[in-house]
Amino acid sequence: MTTVAITINGQKHGPSEIRDDLTMNDYLRENLGMTGTKFGCGAAQCLSCAIIVDDPDGTSHTSPTCIVPAVHFNGQSIRTVEGHAKDGQLSVLQKAFIAHFAFQCGYCTAGFLNEAQVLLERLAKTPLPRANLETTITEALDGHLCRCTGYVKYHEAVRDVILADAARYLV
Amino acid sequence: MQPSRRQFVKWATATGITLSLSPMATAASVPFDAHEILPGEGAFNPAVAGAGRIDGVAKVTGAKLYASDFRASDMPGWPATTSHALLVRAPDATHVYIGMDLARLSGSLKPSMVVTAAEIDSIGLTVPAFYAGDLFCPVGKTPLYLGQPVALLIFETFDAYDRARLALRDNTFVKFGEETGPVSMPPFAAFRFTRVAGPAPDAPDVYSPIMAGWVSPGKIQNTELPVWAPFAKETTKPYGEAARHGEAIRAELSADNPNMLVLDRQFDTQSIDPMFLEPEAGLGWYDTNSRQLELVLGVQSPYDTTESIAELLGKAKAPFKPAGIHSNYAHMGGGFGGRDHTPFVLYIALAAMFFPGRPVRLAHDRYQQFQGGIKRHAIKMHSRIGVDRKTGKILAFAADHVLDGGGLANFSASVATVAANAALGIYDVPRADVTTVALHSRGVTAGSMRGYGTLQTMSAIEVLVDEAAVALKLDPIDFRRRNALKQDGRTLAGNRYIVSVRTPEILDKLERHTIWQTRADQKSRAKPGFLVGTGVACATKDYGTGADCSNGRVELGPDGRIAIWNDHTEMGTGVSTALANRVALHLGGISDQVAVAQVGAFDALGMITSGDSYAMDQKTQDSLEKNPRWVPAISSATSASIGAHVGTHAPAEAAKVIFQFGLWPAALLLWKIAPTDPRAKEFAKAQWKNGELTMAGLAPLPLKMLAATAHARGLVTGAVAHSFSRWEWSRARFLLSGVQYRAEIDALAVRRGNGPFQRLDRVSVKFPPTDNNRIGTSYTSMCGTAVRVEIEKATGILKIAKAYSVLECGQALVPDLVLGQAQGGFAMGVGYALLESLPPFEGGPGNGQWNLDRYLIARGSDLPLHDLEIEMLPPLPDEKPKGIAEVVMIPVVPALLNAIHDATGRRFQSLPVTQSLLKGALA
Repeated sequence: MTTVAITINGQKHGPSEIRDDLTMNDYLRENLGMTGTKFGCGAAQCLSCAIIVDDPDGTSHTSPTCIVPAVHFNGQSIRTVEGHAKDGQLSVLQKAFIAHFAFQCGYCTAGFLNEAQVLLERLAKTPLPRANLETTITEALDGHLCRCTGYVKYHEAVRDVILADAARYLV
Repeated sequence: MQPSRRQFVKWATATGITLSLSPMATAASVPFDAHEILPGEGAFNPAVAGAGRIDGVAKVTGAKLYASDFRASDMPGWPATTSHALLVRAPDATHVYIGMDLARLSGSLKPSMVVTAAEIDSIGLTVPAFYAGDLFCPVGKTPLYLGQPVALLIFETFDAYDRARLALRDNTFVKFGEETGPVSMPPFAAFRFTRVAGPAPDAPDVYSPIMAGWVSPGKIQNTELPVWAPFAKETTKPYGEAARHGEAIRAELSADNPNMLVLDRQFDTQSIDPMFLEPEAGLGWYDTNSRQLELVLGVQSPYDTTESIAELLGKAKAPFKPAGIHSNYAHMGGGFGGRDHTPFVLYIALAAMFFPGRPVRLAHDRYQQFQGGIKRHAIKMHSRIGVDRKTGKILAFAADHVLDGGGLANFSASVATVAANAALGIYDVPRADVTTVALHSRGVTAGSMRGYGTLQTMSAIEVLVDEAAVALKLDPIDFRRRNALKQDGRTLAGNRYIVSVRTPEILDKLERHTIWQTRADQKSRAKPGFLVGTGVACATKDYGTGADCSNGRVELGPDGRIAIWNDHTEMGTGVSTALANRVALHLGGISDQVAVAQVGAFDALGMITSGDSYAMDQKTQDSLEKNPRWVPAISSATSASIGAHVGTHAPAEAAKVIFQFGLWPAALLLWKIAPTDPRAKEFAKAQWKNGELTMAGLAPLPLKMLAATAHARGLVTGAVAHSFSRWEWSRARFLLSGVQYRAEIDALAVRRGNGPFQRLDRVSVKFPPTDNNRIGTSYTSMCGTAVRVEIEKATGILKIAKAYSVLECGQALVPDLVLGQAQGGFAMGVGYALLESLPPFEGGPGNGQWNLDRYLIARGSDLPLHDLEIEMLPPLPDEKPKGIAEVVMIPVVPALLNAIHDATGRRFQSLPVTQSLLKGALA
């Protein structure tokens, strides 16, 4: 057992004693009841379980939760799908996912949302040549599996968010 | 329109168990329905402006929506703590099962309850016929199939469950003894479909299933496969007749006829997993005080699921027989057929009954989902096609299909017949003979999955005709055009489609597309080390099953708000959004409360049913229909691409009633048009524009004003309707507001103002004739695909450079949803053609060791994300919605195979065509 404290969507959870082999996915879903983060494969292959980890250097990355113990996140700050909307207002990306009919069953949506959000934040710091946009989106999202949509509308939604604020994301 | 209004007790079944859907709300907790009825009264509704789905906000905010999201603490009135069950399955089906060694689960890991065949043996369960086969393999027997359950282990805490699950991961604790070989069982079904056309296109058929009925050879002798040739003394007369014609067709194909090209080919398809992203999960709680079994489930077949659980427990001894069952059905994280009549739900009910008083969650992980989830049938197809060398017309076709049904019957018989009836694809073939048999095997149970046999057999025919065209030096599209079934042509069963047949337009579109037009140029310009090829294919897929039900309840509030209840389920296809849009065509506004997966919200209709609608004779139906409450079936699963056509039908009919008997008379009052004025009957001329009812020369009337007037004047403000389709809809007349109202429904209830719903006895009814059960399919939609592939010779890596699919769906209720289905179908087709495969037996998913690290589905980088063009043909005048969720996947597979042939010169006759196969072929 390890004492763990994790900041989730800006809110501190813990310190609390948890099993060393409890996955982060189960910590979120079973211990905290935060079921927006999904369980898909338990093998870090589909990434429906991915969350955002905010690193101390100001950058962020996504991480699967289904195979990573919760204790690994001790002291870290993470974001989940439940944290994207602020004060009842959906994020630009959430709005774009809806407007593009990007998802169908929606079970992979949290993972795509987190991955695309990290991409946006990365591009805001390191803008991209327009010519590389589609390839960059494909590379960023390619780890995420979706069985319903064929991915097209997810990609279009992310692309359109970037193109709509080209001065911010593109060089 | 509050959820509390939905409190009711549904129907008492023969089991004596009451089935209900009453929410268990308390002041402090959120009712289950509040999670599931979307977007919720007054909530932001993206669908209003056509800019999103009804469930859009819930899905981007991580709302609790799926069965796997719910725990006991989320359920009002339930105990707060959730226990957890583990379903242990057999990884071996050739040795005697001798028990489990649970020694590794000591101390706190020890399960609180172990349920095996021994525990259920004496309690009087009644396994519904559909799921026939031991629920648990008893000790001393060889498992019927790989992945057959052997035990439920129930743990009080999540920690104990989770640690035990990991400790048991390798399956070696399930012990086996003597080798017996697999259990042998008779085939699940065997049929023969034979048609001999008349001497001229307009002449009646000489023989067809429509004329003579569907025939089966029956059990002729003890062999693995049926003996299809006729033995007059050993088979029934109807079968002998089919066989006589069939064997004549085969003799024609075998004859040495220089004028006829005959191709004789084998085409094999593989087993795959639906791989919906949410593994099956659910909750059960047997409340020992009320003796009520509470359930949270996610299935495509809610009505049948509730009834099956009632049947399972209906004759059980105390304390295993609940007094009532209350089911909550959640949205699903994908379905694709794999959640249609899944046996998984039976084990949730058992877990709850064996751990009374404590809520139990049963959830597959992905290994377990691969091990126990429903699979697609692998089919071996031997086909022969005869083509007139002069005319390029197909003269005859014969095929023999062998389906691997796996361990339980499930839908194997149905898949086999659908597959057989699809064997001719889009073509008009005057003489055809198709045998099909669905075998039991020790493989994981196969059942419903997107494409449902059609995917397999149409892939085979589309590859075959492509080869025939090449052999005859005919353009593949021209060859298809010559042979395509016309609007009035007859299918293999001998019936005509009753919906539009738009194959010629689709073929024209394919032919004119740049992918096809530039195929030679692109091939010649292939980069060094690469091969380029182009392929096309065209498919048609039935939607509907021949016994489809639609239940709809629509209520209009005095503020103009619309609420919709429907029995179809939301697995991602967007049926809830389609419902809102179809109802809006009649009521002028988008609902902000759409409740799907309802099985009891139509209680006001007081329907009863009896008999088997598939097998019923006309005399029986004529007799039964005299009872104004009788219908051939009450509710059906959301499957067979029926969401748009069937699912939305009854709600649309209910909305029409509200319009004609509520909003229209309200409009007349507001416009001060007297009932005697000729304009009073011209409701069909009225149109909704921007939420206002418009009529030439009259002031537009907002929906809100009309709704308020309808309520104030006691006009019709709510309607509940049911209809049944056996390849055509029921039709009935009802006396309503002094007129005989005729509609494509068979049960109706209405409310006036805020009053209660009152059932209206139908004045007359015309159910579809029982002879329609001989139809193979009557509703169909078409899709064509063209693809260009680039294959690297050294590695076998295939890239889809460009793709185009053109489809027709009648009236598209929500075009973006149709587009999404087509894009998703394309991806699933790519996976099936190039990536996905499950070994059938040992080494396959039944061993519990499969996950997405070895089962590959299409990723974004496998697809032409920016070079996939989808075109929808505009609907024909007054054309209703057609189902397309399956057909969009089908032509993708043979188009890819045909493109691979064009690139490599090699015809692959089995799936999938993997990179390593390509590399080997090109070496």
